Amino acid sequence: MNRQSKIRTWIKKYKTPYLFISPFFILFLLFQLIPMVQSFCYSFTDYDGMHTPEFIGLKNYINLFKGGNYAFWDSLGNTVIYWIACSIFIILFAFGIALLLNRDKLKGRAFIKTATFLPYVCASIAIALVFNMLFDYNSGLINDILSRLGFGKIGWLTTSKFARVPVIILFCWRSIPWYSIIILSGLLNIPADYYEAATIDGGNRIQKFAYITLPLMKNVLFFCLITTTSDTWKMFNESYILKGPAYSNATLFQYMHENAFKLFDLGYAAAIGYILAMVMIVISAVQFVFRRRQGDNY
Amino acid sequence: MKGKRTGFVILEYSLIALVCLICLFPIIWIVLISLKPVTESMMGLSAIIPRGLTLDNYKRVVELIPNLPINFFNNVFVSLVGTVTTLFFCSLAGFAFAKYEFPGRNFLYLFLLATMMIPQETGVIPLFIIFRNMGLINSLWGLIIPRLATAVGIFYMTEYMRDVPYEIMEAARMDGCSEFMIYARIVCPIIKPGLASWAMLTMIARWNDFFWPLILLRNSKKYTLMVAISLLPSSDGLSTPWPTIMAGVSIAVFPVVIAYLIIQRFQVINVAAGAVKG
Repeated sequence: MNRQSKIRTWIKKYKTPYLFISPFFILFLLFQLIPMVQSFCYSFTDYDGMHTPEFIGLKNYINLFKGGNYAFWDSLGNTVIYWIACSIFIILFAFGIALLLNRDKLKGRAFIKTATFLPYVCASIAIALVFNMLFDYNSGLINDILSRLGFGKIGWLTTSKFARVPVIILFCWRSIPWYSIIILSGLLNIPADYYEAATIDGGNRIQKFAYITLPLMKNVLFFCLITTTSDTWKMFNESYILKGPAYSNATLFQYMHENAFKLFDLGYAAAIGYILAMVMIVISAVQFVFRRRQGDNY
Repeated sequence: MKGKRTGFVILEYSLIALVCLICLFPIIWIVLISLKPVTESMMGLSAIIPRGLTLDNYKRVVELIPNLPINFFNNVFVSLVGTVTTLFFCSLAGFAFAKYEFPGRNFLYLFLLATMMIPQETGVIPLFIIFRNMGLINSLWGLIIPRLATAVGIFYMTEYMRDVPYEIMEAARMDGCSEFMIYARIVCPIIKPGLASWAMLTMIARWNDFFWPLILLRNSKKYTLMVAISLLPSSDGLSTPWPTIMAGVSIAVFPVVIAYLIIQRFQVINVAAGAVKG
Protein backbone atom coordinates (compact mmCIF):
# COMPACT_ATOMS: atom_id res chain seq x y z
CA MET A 1 0.00 0.00 0.00
CA ASN A 2 1.52 3.33 -0.98
CA ARG A 3 1.51 6.41 1.17
CA GLN A 4 -1.31 8.22 -0.58
CA SER A 5 -3.76 5.38 -0.27
CA LYS A 6 -2.72 4.94 3.34
CA ILE A 7 -3.70 8.54 4.02
CA ARG A 8 -6.91 8.01 2.12
CA THR A 9 -7.94 5.01 4.20
CA TRP A 10 -6.95 6.90 7.36
CA ILE A 11 -9.17 9.79 6.40
CA LYS A 12 -11.98 7.44 5.46
CA LYS A 13 -11.71 5.65 8.78
CA TYR A 14 -11.62 8.67 11.06
CA LYS A 15 -13.32 11.46 9.18
CA THR A 16 -16.70 11.02 10.88
CA PRO A 17 -15.65 11.59 14.50
CA TYR A 18 -13.39 14.50 13.54
CA LEU A 19 -16.21 16.04 11.57
CA PHE A 20 -18.57 15.64 14.50
CA ILE A 21 -16.26 17.29 17.01
CA SER A 22 -14.98 19.99 14.66
CA PRO A 23 -17.66 22.64 15.36
CA PHE A 24 -16.51 23.03 18.94
CA PHE A 25 -12.86 23.41 18.02
CA ILE A 26 -13.60 25.88 15.23
CA LEU A 27 -15.76 27.97 17.55
CA PHE A 28 -13.16 27.70 20.29
CA LEU A 29 -10.47 28.96 17.94
CA LEU A 30 -12.57 31.83 16.61
CA PHE A 31 -14.35 33.02 19.72
CA GLN A 32 -12.05 32.02 22.53
CA LEU A 33 -8.44 31.35 21.59
CA ILE A 34 -7.98 34.21 19.12
CA PRO A 35 -9.72 36.71 21.44
CA MET A 36 -7.54 35.51 24.32
CA VAL A 37 -4.38 36.15 22.31
CA GLN A 38 -5.66 39.50 21.06
CA SER A 39 -6.70 40.43 24.56
CA PHE A 40 -3.16 39.71 25.70
CA CYS A 41 -1.83 42.09 23.05
CA TYR A 42 -4.38 44.80 23.85
CA SER A 43 -3.44 44.67 27.51
CA PHE A 44 -0.08 46.28 26.62
CA THR A 45 -1.67 49.09 24.64
CA ASP A 46 -3.63 52.27 25.00
CA TYR A 47 -6.74 51.58 22.93
CA ASP A 48 -10.14 53.26 22.72
CA GLY A 49 -11.72 50.96 20.16
CA MET A 50 -11.53 53.54 17.36
CA HIS A 51 -7.90 54.60 16.81
CA THR A 52 -4.98 52.24 16.34
CA PRO A 53 -3.77 50.73 19.60
CA GLU A 54 -0.63 52.36 20.91
CA PHE A 55 1.98 50.18 22.64
CA ILE A 56 2.62 51.35 26.20
CA GLY A 57 4.34 48.34 27.73
CA LEU A 58 3.32 47.31 31.22
CA LYS A 59 1.68 50.63 32.03
CA ASN A 60 -1.86 49.21 32.26
CA TYR A 61 -0.75 46.59 34.75
CA ILE A 62 1.28 49.10 36.74
CA ASN A 63 -1.71 51.45 36.88
CA LEU A 64 -3.89 48.59 38.04
CA PHE A 65 -1.72 47.53 40.94
CA LYS A 66 -0.84 51.06 42.01
CA GLY A 67 -1.56 51.64 45.68
CA GLY A 68 -4.12 54.37 45.22
CA ASN A 69 -6.26 52.49 42.71
CA TYR A 70 -9.11 51.81 45.13
CA ALA A 71 -11.57 50.87 42.39
CA PHE A 72 -9.41 47.92 41.41
CA TRP A 73 -8.45 46.81 44.92
CA ASP A 74 -12.03 47.12 46.15
CA SER A 75 -13.47 45.09 43.31
CA LEU A 76 -10.72 42.49 43.63
CA GLY A 77 -11.34 42.26 47.38
CA ASN A 78 -15.08 41.96 46.85
CA THR A 79 -14.59 39.20 44.31
CA VAL A 80 -12.41 37.25 46.74
CA ILE A 81 -15.01 37.72 49.50
CA TYR A 82 -17.78 36.55 47.15
CA TRP A 83 -15.71 33.55 46.12
CA ILE A 84 -15.02 32.39 49.66
CA ALA A 85 -18.38 33.27 51.21
CA CYS A 86 -20.49 31.92 48.37
CA SER A 87 -18.49 28.70 48.04
CA ILE A 88 -18.86 27.97 51.75
CA PHE A 89 -22.55 28.84 51.99
CA ILE A 90 -23.52 27.15 48.74
CA ILE A 91 -21.78 23.85 49.48
CA LEU A 92 -22.90 23.80 53.12
CA PHE A 93 -26.56 24.57 52.42
CA ALA A 94 -26.73 22.49 49.25
CA PHE A 95 -25.34 19.52 51.17
CA GLY A 96 -27.85 20.11 53.96
CA ILE A 97 -30.78 20.28 51.56
CA ALA A 98 -29.59 17.22 49.67
CA LEU A 99 -29.40 15.28 52.94
CA LEU A 100 -32.93 16.39 53.83
CA LEU A 101 -34.29 15.31 50.46
CA ASN A 102 -32.41 12.02 50.46
CA ARG A 103 -34.94 9.85 52.23
CA ASP A 104 -36.75 6.80 50.98
CA LYS A 105 -40.22 7.95 51.92
CA LEU A 106 -40.34 11.66 51.32
CA LYS A 107 -43.92 12.91 51.41
CA GLY A 108 -44.71 15.36 48.64
CA ARG A 109 -41.47 14.58 46.81
CA ALA A 110 -42.63 15.97 43.45
CA PHE A 111 -43.70 19.29 44.94
CA ILE A 112 -40.62 19.66 47.11
CA LYS A 113 -38.22 18.88 44.27
CA THR A 114 -39.97 21.32 41.93
CA ALA A 115 -40.13 24.06 44.54
CA THR A 116 -36.52 23.74 45.61
CA PHE A 117 -35.29 23.92 42.03
CA LEU A 118 -37.33 27.02 41.11
CA PRO A 119 -34.76 29.64 42.22
CA TYR A 120 -32.35 28.30 39.62
CA VAL A 121 -34.97 28.85 36.91
CA CYS A 122 -35.48 32.51 37.76
CA ALA A 123 -33.30 35.12 36.09
CA SER A 124 -30.74 36.70 38.42
CA ILE A 125 -31.50 40.10 36.89
CA ALA A 126 -35.19 39.78 37.71
CA ILE A 127 -34.64 38.54 41.25
CA ALA A 128 -32.01 41.23 41.80
CA LEU A 129 -34.75 43.78 41.12
CA VAL A 130 -36.91 42.03 43.71
CA PHE A 131 -34.01 42.16 46.16
CA ASN A 132 -33.65 45.88 45.47
CA MET A 133 -37.17 46.22 46.76
CA LEU A 134 -36.77 43.84 49.72
CA PHE A 135 -33.52 45.45 50.89
CA ASP A 136 -34.63 49.04 50.37
CA TYR A 137 -33.63 51.20 53.34
CA ASN A 138 -36.96 52.91 54.02
CA SER A 139 -39.63 50.66 52.62
CA GLY A 140 -37.94 47.28 52.30
CA LEU A 141 -39.35 44.16 53.89
CA ILE A 142 -36.09 43.19 55.57
CA ASN A 143 -35.66 46.49 57.38
CA ASP A 144 -39.34 46.50 58.32
CA ILE A 145 -38.99 43.07 59.95
CA LEU A 146 -35.77 44.14 61.67
CA SER A 147 -37.32 47.27 63.14
CA ARG A 148 -40.43 45.36 64.24
CA LEU A 149 -38.12 42.96 66.08
CA GLY A 150 -36.53 45.91 67.78
CA PHE A 151 -33.30 46.12 65.81
CA GLY A 152 -32.29 49.22 63.93
CA LYS A 153 -32.61 49.58 60.19
CA ILE A 154 -29.59 48.60 58.15
CA GLY A 155 -28.47 50.45 55.05
CA TRP A 156 -28.08 47.32 52.97
CA LEU A 157 -27.41 49.00 49.67
CA THR A 158 -26.63 52.48 50.91
CA THR A 159 -23.61 51.78 53.13
CA SER A 160 -20.44 50.16 51.90
CA LYS A 161 -20.25 47.95 55.00
CA PHE A 162 -23.35 45.89 54.19
CA ALA A 163 -23.62 46.25 50.42
CA ARG A 164 -22.12 42.82 49.78
CA VAL A 165 -24.69 40.98 51.89
CA PRO A 166 -27.65 41.15 49.47
CA VAL A 167 -25.35 40.15 46.61
CA ILE A 168 -24.12 37.08 48.48
CA ILE A 169 -27.66 36.10 49.52
CA LEU A 170 -28.96 36.47 45.99
CA PHE A 171 -26.11 34.50 44.45
CA CYS A 172 -26.48 31.69 46.98
CA TRP A 173 -30.28 31.64 46.71
CA ARG A 174 -30.05 31.12 42.97
CA SER A 175 -27.16 28.64 43.00
CA ILE A 176 -27.97 26.33 45.90
CA PRO A 177 -30.75 24.40 44.06
CA TRP A 178 -28.38 23.43 41.29
CA TYR A 179 -25.69 22.22 43.67
CA SER A 180 -28.13 20.39 45.90
CA ILE A 181 -29.31 18.38 42.89
CA ILE A 182 -25.73 17.47 41.99
CA ILE A 183 -24.97 16.50 45.60
CA LEU A 184 -28.24 14.59 45.89
CA SER A 185 -27.43 12.51 42.84
CA GLY A 186 -24.04 11.79 44.38
CA LEU A 187 -25.75 10.66 47.59
CA LEU A 188 -28.06 8.37 45.63
CA ASN A 189 -25.01 6.67 44.11
CA ILE A 190 -23.78 5.48 47.52
CA PRO A 191 -24.80 1.81 47.85
CA ALA A 192 -27.34 1.25 50.61
CA ASP A 193 -25.44 -1.83 51.91
CA TYR A 194 -22.67 0.42 53.23
CA TYR A 195 -25.12 2.01 55.61
CA GLU A 196 -26.72 -1.34 56.47
CA ALA A 197 -23.33 -2.79 57.35
CA ALA A 198 -22.61 0.24 59.52
CA THR A 199 -25.95 -0.15 61.28
CA ILE A 200 -25.14 -3.77 62.08
CA ASP A 201 -21.80 -2.67 63.52
CA GLY A 202 -23.68 -0.23 65.73
CA GLY A 203 -22.75 2.99 63.96
CA ASN A 204 -24.88 6.04 64.68
CA ARG A 205 -26.02 8.74 62.24
CA ILE A 206 -23.05 10.98 62.82
CA GLN A 207 -20.53 8.16 62.43
CA LYS A 208 -22.20 7.00 59.23
CA PHE A 209 -22.04 10.52 57.88
CA ALA A 210 -18.38 11.01 58.82
CA TYR A 211 -17.07 7.60 57.74
CA ILE A 212 -19.29 6.72 54.77
CA THR A 213 -21.03 9.73 53.29
CA LEU A 214 -18.26 12.33 53.44
CA PRO A 215 -15.39 10.22 52.06
CA LEU A 216 -17.56 8.94 49.21
CA MET A 217 -18.78 12.42 48.38
CA LYS A 218 -15.28 13.87 48.06
CA ASN A 219 -15.28 13.84 44.27
CA VAL A 220 -18.69 15.43 44.00
CA LEU A 221 -17.81 18.13 46.52
CA PHE A 222 -14.60 18.83 44.66
CA PHE A 223 -16.57 19.22 41.44
CA CYS A 224 -18.88 21.66 43.26
CA LEU A 225 -15.94 23.66 44.58
CA ILE A 226 -14.44 24.05 41.12
CA THR A 227 -17.75 25.17 39.70
CA THR A 228 -18.48 27.67 42.47
CA THR A 229 -14.97 29.06 41.98
CA SER A 230 -15.40 29.75 38.30
CA ASP A 231 -18.96 31.02 38.79
CA THR A 232 -18.08 33.49 41.53
CA TRP A 233 -15.00 34.91 39.81
CA LYS A 234 -17.12 35.85 36.83
CA MET A 235 -20.00 37.19 38.90
CA PHE A 236 -21.58 40.20 37.25
CA ASN A 237 -25.39 40.30 37.13
CA GLU A 238 -26.06 40.34 40.86
CA SER A 239 -23.88 43.29 41.78
CA TYR A 240 -24.71 45.12 38.55
CA ILE A 241 -28.34 45.50 39.63
CA LEU A 242 -27.83 45.51 43.41
CA LYS A 243 -25.58 48.51 43.20
CA GLY A 244 -23.97 49.74 46.41
CA PRO A 245 -22.14 53.03 46.91
CA ALA A 246 -19.11 53.47 44.61
CA TYR A 247 -17.19 50.18 44.35
CA SER A 248 -18.36 48.82 47.69
CA ASN A 249 -19.84 45.65 46.19
CA ALA A 250 -18.62 45.69 42.59
CA THR A 251 -16.86 42.62 41.20
CA LEU A 252 -13.69 42.56 39.14
CA PHE A 253 -15.75 41.59 36.15
CA GLN A 254 -17.97 44.60 36.60
CA TYR A 255 -14.89 46.80 36.84
CA MET A 256 -13.67 45.37 33.56
CA HIS A 257 -17.04 45.94 31.93
CA GLU A 258 -17.14 49.52 33.13
CA ASN A 259 -13.69 50.32 31.79
CA ALA A 260 -14.33 48.64 28.47
CA PHE A 261 -17.86 49.69 27.62
CA LYS A 262 -18.45 52.89 29.56
CA LEU A 263 -15.00 54.49 29.68
CA PHE A 264 -13.73 52.85 26.47
CA ASP A 265 -10.32 52.23 27.96
CA LEU A 266 -10.02 48.88 26.22
CA GLY A 267 -6.33 48.27 26.87
CA TYR A 268 -6.79 48.76 30.60
CA ALA A 269 -9.92 46.59 30.59
CA ALA A 270 -8.07 43.85 28.69
CA ALA A 271 -5.44 43.87 31.43
CA ILE A 272 -8.17 43.35 34.03
CA GLY A 273 -9.57 40.51 31.93
CA TYR A 274 -6.14 38.92 31.86
CA ILE A 275 -5.72 39.12 35.58
CA LEU A 276 -9.12 37.44 35.94
CA ALA A 277 -8.14 34.68 33.54
CA MET A 278 -4.79 34.17 35.28
CA VAL A 279 -6.38 33.97 38.71
CA MET A 280 -8.84 31.37 37.50
CA ILE A 281 -6.15 29.28 35.83
CA VAL A 282 -3.99 29.38 38.95
CA ILE A 283 -6.88 28.54 41.28
CA SER A 284 -8.03 25.60 39.22
CA ALA A 285 -4.45 24.34 38.77
CA VAL A 286 -3.87 24.53 42.53
CA GLN A 287 -7.12 22.70 43.17
CA PHE A 288 -6.19 19.94 40.76
CA VAL A 289 -2.68 19.53 42.15
CA PHE A 290 -4.03 19.47 45.69
CA ARG A 291 -6.47 16.81 44.59
CA ARG A 292 -3.84 14.65 42.91
CA ARG A 293 -1.67 14.85 45.97
CA GLN A 294 -4.44 13.29 48.00
CA GLY A 295 -4.05 10.20 45.86
CA ASP A 296 -7.36 10.28 44.06
CA ASN A 297 -7.45 10.33 40.33
CA TYR A 298 -10.12 12.66 39.19
CA MET B 1 -36.92 5.84 71.40
CA LYS B 2 -40.02 6.03 69.22
CA GLY B 3 -40.78 9.55 70.41
CA LYS B 4 -37.28 10.69 69.61
CA ARG B 5 -37.63 9.35 66.11
CA THR B 6 -40.96 11.12 65.49
CA GLY B 7 -39.45 14.32 66.82
CA PHE B 8 -36.62 13.97 64.36
CA VAL B 9 -39.01 13.46 61.46
CA ILE B 10 -41.03 16.53 62.47
CA LEU B 11 -37.82 18.56 62.64
CA GLU B 12 -36.78 17.35 59.19
CA TYR B 13 -40.12 18.19 57.62
CA SER B 14 -40.21 21.62 59.21
CA LEU B 15 -36.76 22.30 57.78
CA ILE B 16 -37.94 21.13 54.37
CA ALA B 17 -40.98 23.40 54.64
CA LEU B 18 -38.74 26.32 55.56
CA VAL B 19 -36.49 25.63 52.57
CA CYS B 20 -39.50 25.50 50.23
CA LEU B 21 -40.80 28.76 51.65
CA ILE B 22 -37.46 30.51 51.13
CA CYS B 23 -37.31 29.18 47.59
CA LEU B 24 -40.82 30.27 46.70
CA PHE B 25 -40.98 33.54 48.60
CA PRO B 26 -39.52 35.95 46.00
CA ILE B 27 -41.70 34.38 43.32
CA ILE B 28 -44.87 34.81 45.37
CA TRP B 29 -43.73 38.34 46.18
CA ILE B 30 -43.43 39.22 42.48
CA VAL B 31 -47.00 38.06 41.81
CA LEU B 32 -48.50 39.86 44.80
CA ILE B 33 -46.76 43.17 44.22
CA SER B 34 -47.27 43.22 40.47
CA LEU B 35 -51.05 42.96 40.99
CA LYS B 36 -51.26 45.82 43.48
CA PRO B 37 -52.47 49.29 42.54
CA VAL B 38 -49.59 51.78 42.59
CA THR B 39 -51.47 53.97 45.02
CA GLU B 40 -51.20 51.38 47.80
CA SER B 41 -48.52 51.34 50.44
CA MET B 42 -45.36 49.49 49.54
CA MET B 43 -44.02 49.69 53.06
CA GLY B 44 -42.38 46.55 54.35
CA LEU B 45 -44.67 43.80 55.58
CA SER B 46 -47.86 45.65 54.80
CA ALA B 47 -47.02 45.39 51.10
CA ILE B 48 -47.90 41.69 51.15
CA ILE B 49 -51.55 42.13 52.09
CA PRO B 50 -53.53 42.36 48.86
CA ARG B 51 -56.39 44.83 48.89
CA GLY B 52 -57.25 45.76 45.36
CA LEU B 53 -56.10 43.62 42.47
CA THR B 54 -55.28 45.23 39.16
CA LEU B 55 -53.57 44.50 35.87
CA ASP B 56 -52.73 48.17 35.32
CA ASN B 57 -49.08 47.60 36.16
CA TYR B 58 -48.69 45.38 33.14
CA LYS B 59 -50.10 48.13 30.93
CA ARG B 60 -47.80 50.64 32.58
CA VAL B 61 -44.67 48.54 32.09
CA VAL B 62 -45.39 48.40 28.35
CA GLU B 63 -45.64 52.19 28.39
CA LEU B 64 -42.34 52.37 30.24
CA ILE B 65 -40.62 49.94 27.86
CA PRO B 66 -42.29 50.57 24.48
CA ASN B 67 -40.39 47.76 22.78
CA LEU B 68 -41.34 45.16 25.36
CA PRO B 69 -43.24 42.87 22.92
CA ILE B 70 -40.28 42.91 20.53
CA ASN B 71 -37.88 42.32 23.42
CA PHE B 72 -40.01 39.39 24.51
CA PHE B 73 -39.95 37.92 21.02
CA ASN B 74 -36.15 38.40 20.87
CA ASN B 75 -35.82 36.43 24.08
CA VAL B 76 -37.99 33.61 22.76
CA PHE B 77 -36.04 33.52 19.50
CA VAL B 78 -32.61 33.47 21.15
CA SER B 79 -33.65 30.83 23.69
CA LEU B 80 -35.36 28.48 21.26
CA VAL B 81 -32.93 28.70 18.35
CA GLY B 82 -29.98 28.76 20.73
CA THR B 83 -31.16 25.66 22.58
CA VAL B 84 -32.01 23.59 19.51
CA THR B 85 -28.77 24.34 17.71
CA THR B 86 -26.52 23.85 20.72
CA LEU B 87 -28.28 20.60 21.55
CA PHE B 88 -27.57 19.31 18.06
CA PHE B 89 -23.88 20.25 17.94
CA CYS B 90 -23.14 19.21 21.52
CA SER B 91 -24.79 15.83 21.21
CA LEU B 92 -23.05 15.20 17.87
CA ALA B 93 -19.66 15.93 19.42
CA GLY B 94 -20.56 13.97 22.52
CA PHE B 95 -21.47 11.03 20.32
CA ALA B 96 -18.06 11.16 18.64
CA PHE B 97 -16.18 11.39 21.94
CA ALA B 98 -18.15 8.61 23.57
CA LYS B 99 -18.57 6.10 20.77
CA TYR B 100 -15.63 6.40 18.35
CA GLU B 101 -12.00 5.45 18.60
CA PHE B 102 -9.78 7.99 16.91
CA PRO B 103 -6.23 9.27 17.35
CA GLY B 104 -5.97 12.05 19.91
CA ARG B 105 -9.40 11.43 21.36
CA ASN B 106 -8.38 11.47 25.01
CA PHE B 107 -6.14 14.47 24.54
CA LEU B 108 -8.84 16.44 22.74
CA TYR B 109 -11.38 15.53 25.40
CA LEU B 110 -9.09 16.66 28.22
CA PHE B 111 -8.35 19.80 26.27
CA LEU B 112 -12.08 20.43 25.98
CA LEU B 113 -12.52 19.97 29.72
CA ALA B 114 -9.62 22.33 30.39
CA THR B 115 -11.22 25.08 28.29
CA MET B 116 -14.08 25.16 30.79
CA MET B 117 -11.69 26.67 33.33
CA ILE B 118 -11.26 29.89 31.40
CA PRO B 119 -14.57 31.64 30.90
CA GLN B 120 -15.24 33.05 27.48
CA GLU B 121 -16.15 36.34 29.08
CA THR B 122 -12.53 37.20 29.85
CA GLY B 123 -11.93 37.71 26.12
CA VAL B 124 -14.94 39.96 25.77
CA ILE B 125 -13.07 43.01 24.49
CA PRO B 126 -11.49 41.51 21.37
CA LEU B 127 -14.66 39.48 20.93
CA PHE B 128 -16.63 42.70 20.79
CA ILE B 129 -14.31 44.03 18.11
CA ILE B 130 -14.46 40.76 16.15
CA PHE B 131 -18.25 40.92 16.32
CA ARG B 132 -18.22 44.52 15.18
CA ASN B 133 -16.11 43.56 12.19
CA MET B 134 -18.41 40.64 11.40
CA GLY B 135 -21.50 42.85 11.66
CA LEU B 136 -22.87 40.81 14.54
CA ILE B 137 -23.43 43.75 16.88
CA ASN B 138 -27.17 44.28 17.30
CA SER B 139 -27.78 40.89 15.77
CA LEU B 140 -29.42 38.11 17.75
CA TRP B 141 -27.22 35.63 15.90
CA GLY B 142 -24.27 37.08 17.76
CA LEU B 143 -25.73 35.49 20.88
CA ILE B 144 -26.30 32.15 19.19
CA ILE B 145 -23.30 31.43 16.96
CA PRO B 146 -20.42 31.53 19.49
CA ARG B 147 -22.27 29.09 21.73
CA LEU B 148 -23.39 26.58 19.12
CA ALA B 149 -21.12 23.98 20.70
CA THR B 150 -20.09 24.50 24.31
CA ALA B 151 -17.54 22.52 26.27
CA VAL B 152 -19.85 21.86 29.17
CA GLY B 153 -22.63 20.68 26.87
CA ILE B 154 -20.30 18.29 25.08
CA PHE B 155 -19.02 17.02 28.42
CA TYR B 156 -22.57 16.36 29.59
CA MET B 157 -23.55 14.64 26.36
CA THR B 158 -20.39 12.51 26.25
CA GLU B 159 -20.94 11.21 29.76
CA TYR B 160 -24.56 10.50 28.93
CA MET B 161 -23.73 8.65 25.69
CA ARG B 162 -21.17 6.33 27.26
CA ASP B 163 -23.93 3.98 28.36
CA VAL B 164 -25.34 3.48 24.86
CA PRO B 165 -24.42 -0.12 23.90
CA TYR B 166 -22.06 -0.59 20.94
CA GLU B 167 -24.04 -3.61 19.75
CA ILE B 168 -26.99 -1.48 18.63
CA MET B 169 -24.68 0.72 16.61
CA GLU B 170 -22.92 -2.27 15.05
CA ALA B 171 -26.24 -3.82 14.08
CA ALA B 172 -27.32 -0.59 12.40
CA ARG B 173 -23.98 -0.37 10.58
CA MET B 174 -24.48 -3.90 9.27
CA ASP B 175 -27.82 -2.83 7.89
CA GLY B 176 -26.04 -0.11 5.91
CA CYS B 177 -26.98 2.81 8.10
CA SER B 178 -24.75 5.88 7.64
CA GLU B 179 -22.89 7.21 10.69
CA PHE B 180 -25.07 10.30 10.85
CA MET B 181 -28.19 8.18 10.63
CA ILE B 182 -26.93 6.03 13.49
CA TYR B 183 -26.66 9.22 15.51
CA ALA B 184 -30.02 10.61 14.47
CA ARG B 185 -32.14 7.47 14.37
CA ILE B 186 -30.54 5.11 16.88
CA VAL B 187 -28.60 7.05 19.49
CA CYS B 188 -30.70 10.20 19.90
CA PRO B 189 -33.91 8.33 20.76
CA ILE B 190 -32.02 6.33 23.41
CA ILE B 191 -30.60 9.41 25.10
CA LYS B 192 -33.84 11.39 24.95
CA PRO B 193 -33.91 11.97 28.74
CA GLY B 194 -30.38 13.36 28.63
CA LEU B 195 -31.23 15.58 25.67
CA ALA B 196 -34.38 16.81 27.37
CA SER B 197 -32.69 17.72 30.62
CA TRP B 198 -29.80 19.44 28.87
CA ALA B 199 -32.31 21.28 26.67
CA MET B 200 -34.10 22.55 29.76
CA LEU B 201 -30.88 23.71 31.41
CA THR B 202 -29.68 25.45 28.25
CA MET B 203 -33.06 27.07 27.82
CA ILE B 204 -32.96 28.43 31.38
CA ALA B 205 -29.44 29.77 30.88
CA ARG B 206 -30.22 31.36 27.53
CA TRP B 207 -33.49 32.89 28.63
CA ASN B 208 -31.79 34.44 31.66
CA ASP B 209 -28.61 35.47 29.86
CA PHE B 210 -27.67 39.06 30.60
CA PHE B 211 -23.98 39.76 30.11
CA TRP B 212 -23.73 38.96 26.40
CA PRO B 213 -26.96 40.71 25.37
CA LEU B 214 -25.84 43.74 27.39
CA ILE B 215 -22.56 43.87 25.48
CA LEU B 216 -23.74 42.98 22.01
CA LEU B 217 -27.17 44.56 21.71
CA ARG B 218 -26.98 48.32 21.53
CA ASN B 219 -30.40 49.15 20.10
CA SER B 220 -33.54 49.07 22.23
CA LYS B 221 -35.44 47.17 19.54
CA LYS B 222 -32.83 44.42 19.67
CA TYR B 223 -32.69 44.13 23.45
CA THR B 224 -33.64 40.92 25.10
CA LEU B 225 -36.01 41.02 28.05
CA MET B 226 -33.26 40.96 30.65
CA VAL B 227 -31.56 44.03 29.22
CA ALA B 228 -34.90 45.79 28.91
CA ILE B 229 -35.93 45.20 32.52
CA SER B 230 -32.46 46.00 33.84
CA LEU B 231 -33.06 49.56 32.62
CA LEU B 232 -36.18 49.98 34.76
CA PRO B 233 -35.69 52.75 37.34
CA SER B 234 -35.36 50.56 40.39
CA SER B 235 -33.46 52.57 42.98
CA ASP B 236 -35.10 55.96 43.35
CA GLY B 237 -36.02 55.42 46.96
CA LEU B 238 -39.66 56.00 47.85
CA SER B 239 -40.74 57.19 44.44
CA THR B 240 -39.80 53.89 42.77
CA PRO B 241 -42.81 52.43 40.94
CA TRP B 242 -42.32 48.99 42.45
CA PRO B 243 -45.56 47.37 41.22
CA THR B 244 -44.69 48.36 37.65
CA ILE B 245 -41.18 46.98 38.02
CA MET B 246 -42.53 43.75 39.47
CA ALA B 247 -44.85 43.46 36.48
CA GLY B 248 -41.78 43.69 34.23
CA VAL B 249 -39.98 41.17 36.38
CA SER B 250 -42.87 38.73 36.20
CA ILE B 251 -42.87 38.93 32.39
CA ALA B 252 -39.18 38.02 32.50
CA VAL B 253 -39.53 35.23 35.04
CA PHE B 254 -42.80 33.43 34.43
CA PRO B 255 -42.47 32.13 30.85
CA VAL B 256 -39.44 30.06 31.78
CA VAL B 257 -40.91 29.02 35.13
CA ILE B 258 -44.04 27.78 33.35
CA ALA B 259 -41.95 25.99 30.72
CA TYR B 260 -40.00 24.35 33.54
CA LEU B 261 -43.17 23.27 35.36
CA ILE B 262 -44.58 21.71 32.19
CA ILE B 263 -41.39 19.82 31.32
CA GLN B 264 -40.93 18.83 34.96
CA ARG B 265 -44.21 16.92 34.76
CA PHE B 266 -42.61 14.53 32.30
CA GLN B 267 -39.98 13.73 34.91
CA VAL B 268 -37.15 14.27 32.50
CA ILE B 269 -35.07 16.64 34.57
CA ASN B 270 -32.37 14.58 36.05
CA VAL B 271 -29.70 17.16 35.79
CA ALA B 272 -26.75 15.39 37.20
CA ALA B 273 -27.47 11.84 36.13
CA GLY B 274 -24.88 11.76 33.39
CA ALA B 275 -22.64 14.56 34.47
CA VAL B 276 -21.39 13.46 37.84
CA LYS B 277 -20.48 9.94 38.66
CA GLY B 278 -19.47 10.15 42.27
